[in-house]
Amino acid sequence: MIKLQNVTKTYKRGADDEVVALDDVTVEVTKGEFVFVVGPSGSGKSTFMKLLTREQLPDGGEIWVAGKNLATLRSWKVPVLRREIGYVFQDFKLLENKTVYENVAFALEVIGRPRREIEKRVPEGLDLVGLSEKSRAHPHELSGGQQQRVSVARAFVNNPRILLCDEPTGNLDPSTSVGVMKLLDRINRTGATVVMATHDQHIVDSMRRRVIELEDGHVVRDQSRGVYGYGG
Amino acid sequence: MTARWTYVIREAFVGLRRNLMMTVAVILSVTVSLTLLGASLLLSEQVDLATDDWTGRVEVSIYLCDDRVCPAITPEQQEQLREDLESQEVVSEVFYESKQDAYDRFTAMFADQESLIDAIDADILPASFRVRLENPNLFNVIADQFSPPYPGVEEVVDQREVLNQFLRFTNVVRTAALVVAAIQLVAAGVLIANTIRVAAFARREQTGIMRLVGASNWYIRLPFVLEGVFAGLIGALVSWGLLWGTVPRVATSLAQDIELMPFIGEAQVIAVGPWLLLAGTGIAAVASILALRRFLDI
Repeated sequence: MIKLQNVTKTYKRGADDEVVALDDVTVEVTKGEFVFVVGPSGSGKSTFMKLLTREQLPDGGEIWVAGKNLATLRSWKVPVLRREIGYVFQDFKLLENKTVYENVAFALEVIGRPRREIEKRVPEGLDLVGLSEKSRAHPHELSGGQQQRVSVARAFVNNPRILLCDEPTGNLDPSTSVGVMKLLDRINRTGATVVMATHDQHIVDSMRRRVIELEDGHVVRDQSRGVYGYGG
Repeated sequence: MTARWTYVIREAFVGLRRNLMMTVAVILSVTVSLTLLGASLLLSEQVDLATDDWTGRVEVSIYLCDDRVCPAITPEQQEQLREDLESQEVVSEVFYESKQDAYDRFTAMFADQESLIDAIDADILPASFRVRLENPNLFNVIADQFSPPYPGVEEVVDQREVLNQFLRFTNVVRTAALVVAAIQLVAAGVLIANTIRVAAFARREQTGIMRLVGASNWYIRLPFVLEGVFAGLIGALVSWGLLWGTVPRVATSLAQDIELMPFIGEAQVIAVGPWLLLAGTGIAAVASILALRRFLDI
């Protein structure tokens, strides 16, 4: 489902100052897996996620996502790739001037889905995240956990094969985080591949899923049923 | 209308409303530039119309001597001159205008300027042969043969010179209007580009989400482009309306004062409209697309 082969990505900072974000990274994630990507700030997690959605292109190596080679993917086909990927942000990124329902519907509207399909799928999505009653509320009327669940509903309403979560619990308190993690786990059990970048040690330790640890752009650990760090 | 078009059009109007001051500025600037453009196009029409009309009417005047500059023409010389003129192939018609005819024409032309008429003696205007040519461009053929020292001729004057002076003047006016219109149009384009960029920046959160959920490029951009095109269209319509409301009226009142030439009317103003619409929407579309090209890249 996701495959990185000897991927290198460097950022230019000034004339001859370079920062190596990812250095010769090779990782494979198969269909239906749940993977944590962990590591300190600046370890390359964000770059890793951005490469998967082709927000950025690698300087070297190959990336395959949902059967597509991102290096050779034509730019006009990038939207097609992104329809296979749901994306959950740390700061939710809900539109304040839209209701919960409209926020979720937006994801379908802007990829040109017919109205009948939208009217069927949005309630299903809100039901999945347990927010059917809040469909007319605006984001600011919701708690952080509820907002994150709306953003999960938006990411998943199109039934993507891959769900990428960038620090989805970063702005949430521990008990709320557990609810969001249960939701992601449930989505994973429907067959979707979930990749989650996180700092949250408790969550990683309690979920006991595959852990890929990055440090200074290298994969320093790739462990099935892992914990956040050695020896805690 | 499918859901996708409803979305695109709704978003365009949301942008226009949210950015009302900028929208008004864009519309005004497009209006000013297109009104100038339309005015210069109509001026060209007017010049063409007048030129066509005059080209058929201009004549060569051969002024006859009357003792003031040269010894007065004798009746024999005058008869000879008429025969020579009529035998020319390029000449289609020859009229004789006596001193009295010339004075009558002069007083008619300046009927409302008595002081001018008072200053002119009936005797001072020379008699002339007025010659109409098959082709007005062949003036030189006549000028070469009949200019002094041809006996009894004081001067040969191509009346096209008078027309040409008028044409040169209108050409300057028209070119100036076109240049100003072009500069205004560029300014309007820059203003539109800037407005669209501001609009796109204001909605960057929304477009960012659209990109990540896989909205296609045109779906992200089209509302912004439509926003610009719509403002351009309104500006074009307003300028068309302005020209329609003023130009025929001005032309009618001028036609009452100046009987020498025909004037353009509503038909020409209507005909110029599609060009204004095309220019307005075209500039707006190009400006919007250029503004978005770098801002909203994948």
